[in-house]
This record gives sequence, C-alpha cells and structure tokens, in this order.
Amino acid sequence: MISVSNLSKSYNGVTVLNIESLDIPAGESFGLVGNNGAGKTTFFSLLLDLIQPSSGYIKNKNIIVSESEEWKPFTSSFIDESFLIGYLTAEEYFYFIGDLRGQTKADVDEFLKQYEDFFNDEILQKKKYLRDLSKGNQKKAGIIAALIGKPDVVILDEPFANLDPTTQIRLKKIIKDLDENTGTTILISSHDLIHVTEVCKRIVVLDKGETVKDIQTSQATLEELEAYFNK
Amino acid sequence: MFKRFIALEWKQFSRSSYFQKGIAIKILLALGALYFIGMAAFMGVTGYFGIQKFMPDKDPITVVNNFVIYWFLADMVFRYFLQQLPVLNIKPYMVIPIKRSTVIHFLLGKTSVSFFNFLPMFFFLPFSITSLVNGDYLVINVVAWLFSMLFFTLSINYLNFLLNKNNKVFYGILTVLVAAGLLQYYQVYSITEPAGYFFNTIYEKPYAVVIPLLLMVMLYRFNFKFIRKDFYLDGAISKETKEVHTQELTWLNRFGKVAPFLKNDVRMIIRNKRPKQVLFMSFLFLFYGVIFYPQESYQDMPAFLAFASMFVTGGFLMSFGQLVPSWDSEYYKLLMSQNIPYREYLKSKWSLMVVAVVISFILSTPYIYFGWDIFGMIAAGALFNMGLNSFITLYGGVLNQVPMELNVKAKAFSNTQGFNPTQLLIALPKIFGPMLIFYLPYKFINFETGIICLAVSGVLGLAFTNFFLNQIEKVYQKQKYKTIAAFSEKK
Repeated sequence: MISVSNLSKSYNGVTVLNIESLDIPAGESFGLVGNNGAGKTTFFSLLLDLIQPSSGYIKNKNIIVSESEEWKPFTSSFIDESFLIGYLTAEEYFYFIGDLRGQTKADVDEFLKQYEDFFNDEILQKKKYLRDLSKGNQKKAGIIAALIGKPDVVILDEPFANLDPTTQIRLKKIIKDLDENTGTTILISSHDLIHVTEVCKRIVVLDKGETVKDIQTSQATLEELEAYFNK
Repeated sequence: MFKRFIALEWKQFSRSSYFQKGIAIKILLALGALYFIGMAAFMGVTGYFGIQKFMPDKDPITVVNNFVIYWFLADMVFRYFLQQLPVLNIKPYMVIPIKRSTVIHFLLGKTSVSFFNFLPMFFFLPFSITSLVNGDYLVINVVAWLFSMLFFTLSINYLNFLLNKNNKVFYGILTVLVAAGLLQYYQVYSITEPAGYFFNTIYEKPYAVVIPLLLMVMLYRFNFKFIRKDFYLDGAISKETKEVHTQELTWLNRFGKVAPFLKNDVRMIIRNKRPKQVLFMSFLFLFYGVIFYPQESYQDMPAFLAFASMFVTGGFLMSFGQLVPSWDSEYYKLLMSQNIPYREYLKSKWSLMVVAVVISFILSTPYIYFGWDIFGMIAAGALFNMGLNSFITLYGGVLNQVPMELNVKAKAFSNTQGFNPTQLLIALPKIFGPMLIFYLPYKFINFETGIICLAVSGVLGLAFTNFFLNQIEKVYQKQKYKTIAAFSEKK
C-alpha cells in the first residue's frame, strides 16, 4: 500500500530522516516508535505531502504523494490540533469532514453512533466550539473524524497521548476492530510501548531518522523494545 | 514590583515575532500612527481659527463642547473594535508572592498607555493653548476643561475594558446608545443638546472637573473589583466559553461543491474576533464616497472619483481577500491533507468576496443622491471589483504567509499579523487600475465611455473566471510547502 524509497529529509544540511526502503502492505497495522527527534512526525508529514522530501519519494497506492493529489480521497489523518477547526462545534466539524469525503449528514450521524462509548458524552451536543474543549476531548474528535468515510489509509500521530485511561482502552479496541474487520491500513506513532505493541502487528523503531528495528509483533516484542530503549 | 513588570513587558515586546519582522513594516506603522497624530494636532492647532472663521458669531470652545459627544461616542465604537486589551499573562503571577492588587493595578495601568488615549490629547492640548493665547478665556477654566477631556477619555478607556469583558455592561450600553440614536433620529428627543449643555457647564464651572474625575475613578475601581473577583484560574483568565449552537446553514447548499467551504467561511466570520473586525472596517468603506463626492475640488478630477467609487463597494473584498489564505492558517495542514480540491477552496473565497461586493453595492444605493453619474461610477467600480479586483486580491493573498490568530483582535498600529510589504505592491494595480481604465477613455472620448470601459473590464474579468482561478490555483499550489511551514511557525 505504502512504499518508501530512498526517502530523505534534511534541513540546512542536517539529515533528520533517511529511509532507504520501507513497504507497508495493505491492511497492516503499522506502529512507529522512537524518541523525540527520531523523525516520526517528519515521516508522517512527508507521507501527507506537508513537507517536501530532500530526495526519494513515498508511494501511496502507487501514487507518488508529492506529485499527484490522487491519494487524498482514500487517505485520512490526525496529526495534531492544527487538524481541527477551532471555531466549529464537533458536529459541524464531523459534517464538514463528511462533506469532503462524500458522506451525507445522515451517513455521518449513523457513523458517529458506534462511537458513543468512546465519546463518553463529552463531544456531541456539548454546545461548545472545538477550541474550547479539553486537549483530550479535542483528540477524541480528531481521531474519530479521521475515520469518517472509510478511508483505506489512516494515519494517527500519538493517538494515545492526552487521553484518559478509559479512553485509551476504548481507542485500542477501536483500532483493533478496524484492523481485524476492515482492510484499513493503519499507521500509528506512539511513545507508549505497551499500547503500540498491543494494537500493531508490526513495529518499526526510528532513531535519528533511520530505521533501526523492524519487528513483527509477538509475545517477546515488548521486552525487546524495552531492552532497546533502556540504553 | 512595577519595575519588574515593565522589564518583563519590554522583553515580551522586543522578543515577539512581529517586532523582529521587517523594518519596512515598522516604518509604515509608525507613519500611520504619525498620520493620525498629525491630523489631530493639525486640527487642534487650526481648530480655533477655523471655527472663528466659519462661525464668527460663535465661541470656539462652545462649538467643540456641542459636538464633543459625537467624538466620545465614535471613540467608544472604535475602541471596542480596534483597541486590543493588553492582557498581562497573570497565570504565572498567581502562585508567587506578589499582591494581587499590584498585578491588577499594573494591568489597568497598562491599558492607560494606549495610542487611543494619547490621540485626543494631540487635539485638545494645542486647541486649548491656541484658545488661551488668542481668545478671551480664563486660564483656570480652560485648564480644568482640558483635564475634564482627559478624564473622559480615560473613562472611555476603562469603560471599554468592561464592554469587552462584561456582557451585561455591553448590552446595557448598547441599548442606551441605540435608544438615544432612535430618539434623535425620529426627533423625539435630541441627546446632543443636553450633552452640549453638560460639557459647557463643565467648562464654565472649573470645579466641575471633579465629575469626570470621579467617573474615571469609579470606572477604574469597578474594573478593579471586576478583575479582583475573577482572579482565579477559572475566572478572568479562563477563556470565555459561551454556549453555542450548531448552525446548519443549509441555505448555502445551493452553491453546490463550494457549499462546505462557504459554510465554514460564514461561521469563521461570525465566530471570531478578527474577521468581525474586518467586517466592521469594510462597512466603514461604504462611506468612503462621502469624503470625495461632495467636494468641489474633486469634481474636476474624475479619476479620483473612480478610485473612490471602487473603494465604496470593495471594502470587504480587499480587507478580507488580502488575508486569504491566512484566515485558515490555524488549520491549514488539515485543508492540505484532506480530500479538498484547491480550486473549490479558492472559489469559495472568491464567491464570498463577490457576494460582499453585491451587498455593498445594494447598500450604496443612497449615493444616487449625488447624481446618476456618481452612481454609474459606483456600479462600474463594483463590476471592476467583481471581475478583476477579486482575482488580483486573491493572487496577492498567497504572497502573504503570516499566520493569524483568528480570535484575537488586531491591535491598532502595533499588529503586523497578516501584513506584508508585497501587499503594497499588489495594491498598486488595485488602486491605479480603475483610475487608468476610467481616465484614458474619459480623457480621449467622454465620461460615459470611461464608465463603460471600467464596467466592461469587470465583465471581461468575470467571463474569464475559470482562467483566472486556474492561474491563481497554480500559484497557490506552488507556494504550498512554504505556506504550510510559515503557518506552523510559533506565533
């Protein structure tokens, strides 16, 4: 689904990302871990064509993302709060995203029903603008909005940060559901090794812009990761 | 303690991003401020003689007193829209050992050092001096009067703080003003007469200076109490969260593909402080013609009239359009990674501008009073705005890559958010375009041909809408990464 070749990004001569090749097959749940500055967000930004690669390219379903916009209809993401429109209510935001993804208002309402638990009564009909919600609740709205319209590729940057424990557990369930019951390719970055090993079938560790580990998740993965980061 | 606050304020000012921006902008802003100061000082210096010359049978100070109420009202309105309240970030001071009252006094004191408070003094001070030197006034009266004016100005300053922070005060004052305006309009009761009488009495009885002084002190204390009461995390410094309702705006669906964006733009304008400010400013543009049309001297310079006519309907178009795409800077990454065709996005902005021109044009019908020639010019100017100016403005917008905080008022004369010298260059064709298109045919053929040419240029522009939008889209696409990077810079 996603293939990376000779991708690099440097700022003023300092290389912040350098991935020779990486293939993520369709339907995989892919986890990206690494310390601050490892290049996780840079990678996602390149994948979304928000920054230009210094060399190489990323293909999303055989479309080179920096050359064509055709990947947009089937790709969806939530990176940070700048993906929210602060002056909209949550409903208005969901309908707006729905509009962009060819979903009617009724479709969106129907879709949102399955996430009532996840929202925990803190998102819908709150009569508040998104900018006035707490960080955690903003994140909830952003993550769910990224799932509207059955995208083939979903990209979430640090989805577990800022969420309360109950919501984290519910989010894990949502991601696992998505992974097992649909063909969605899911890309997640996280600082939480436990969560990421739990929901991702494959984990790649980035360090200073390079891939240092590429693991198919198993019982031993968490230990392996902990050992690696405990350096 | 105050000294330390001032040191911190200075650091905040000198290290803020706008301070570190180009020197050209700073000079321009300084020039703008100097212009207003110069105007006020000029009126102050010449005011006395002017009134004497045009109203020889009246006393200059009495004349000023009769009209000063309008100045204070206008001052209030301008402040409400333009004066950004200098908010001291009080959170860090809450837990360290500084008396709350010190912080509040500093906060309120800071509002007093505003351009809006100095400006009137540039008028009143020279006016008082020239009156004293040339007129037959008592020093004590004039000095007391001058102080009264200063106290009234500061009272408005503190009142503005309350107007911004307290809805009860805001709606209370608004009701009083609207009621007074209506009474005046329907000639039931004229507020200006007693107001004039009031100000004249203050002048005649120097000890009456205590009235504005008390008013000022009272408002200050009221402010103080208001802030003191709310000096908690969940009080004054918490963001106000009003209950809001989801607005469907289904009537916009008729615009088809552009509808989702239009809906957002409408919501953006009505829900954020900065765009509301632009809306207010563009309303003022409607009155631009009032300055030009009645003056004899411009009647022989129709090119200037063409320029003014373009401004009458182009206020929103220019002040809103020059900040596309900055309006969406807060969530630009979303727009760039979502399933959004750039063209629809641009077209939505363009449609909004065109609709605004149409509305402004409808509102400008009273200009028929100045004759059909003038109104014809306004109509032609409106067509020019829709067909050409809109595209030029959109094109200029992309050169402007300054992130904008939507829900923060632009501060008069110190805010460069969303302002860029290249915009001045882009402004040239906007200003001289209509002048030339009108003037050349007018000079060589006649007035009507000039108007027709201006109108036709707009119609042609509209006919090539797709072409222009495609070109603009290309420029926007090209600048995409730069724009994203600029918008994600820390403010």
